[in-house]
Amino acid sequence: MINSIKSGFWMGIRTTGMLARVIVPVYLLVAILSRYGGLEQIAHFFEPVMRIFGLPGEAALVLVLGNVVNLYAALGAIVAISLTQGQLTVIALMLGFSHSLFVESAVVKQTGVSIRIILPLRVGMMILVGVVAGQVMGGIA
Amino acid sequence: MSLFGFLVETLWGVGASILKLSLIIIPLMIVMQVLKDYQWLDRLTRVLQPIGNKMGIRKDGLFPLLVGILFGISYGSGVIIQSVESGEMDEKDRLLVAVFLVLCHAIIEDTLIFAAIGANGFILLTTRVLVAFLLTVIVSRQYGRTRRKTYENSTT
Repeated sequence: MINSIKSGFWMGIRTTGMLARVIVPVYLLVAILSRYGGLEQIAHFFEPVMRIFGLPGEAALVLVLGNVVNLYAALGAIVAISLTQGQLTVIALMLGFSHSLFVESAVVKQTGVSIRIILPLRVGMMILVGVVAGQVMGGIA
Repeated sequence: MSLFGFLVETLWGVGASILKLSLIIIPLMIVMQVLKDYQWLDRLTRVLQPIGNKMGIRKDGLFPLLVGILFGISYGSGVIIQSVESGEMDEKDRLLVAVFLVLCHAIIEDTLIFAAIGANGFILLTTRVLVAFLLTVIVSRQYGRTRRKTYENSTT
């Protein structure tokens, strides 16, 4: 039992290290964008689209990072911007269905299942659930 | 805000976030390792059987399904690909396991890390499981029994 706990502990440390390596640069980038005004422009540009999900425009950055990189990158951006509890739940739901698309699609492909089914399914569910949840819990203050 | 203030606040913010996440991830990894080392996964597979039946996934698909649900697609990829390559799952099983797993995997870690930053964990978990279940059932029905390759039911 001690050995299992030890190797689990080190696995946890390794995972935390991996997560820090992704979260720190993303967080810094978003903080810098936010200080020097770039974030505002991004937010303004995506505001009409993100409104569908009851999310502020900055949330577009979170969705892109989550889908292209991974959930840790999305987390780094989420903690750097401010969202209400409802908006956090909406964006977490959306990201739950669709994230790390490059890496995870590669794994799915290895099992012989077509990406042409899996990708539209994931992105479609992200949008569908995002719209529904956004109506219920999102909302721009 | 001064540049110094900005730097302190930023580093403090990111440090606190990572610390919070590590408090979830380290205990979780310990539990997962114990699950793996003590063969509790096999026992848990049986718990999945009734749900698997409803989704049209047969016995050989349940182990990769469980591994994916608990460990995720990246961490679980070794086991998942190995199960597929062992050749006991037919095309339908593989498709259904993939449909369920892409929508719903690593559910403990994902739920906890988002709950840690303030999202509603209960809503996250239940929505994800339900949506994945419903879509897998739909795909299972659409697939149709006719296309299923007939295997001798090699399962015990």
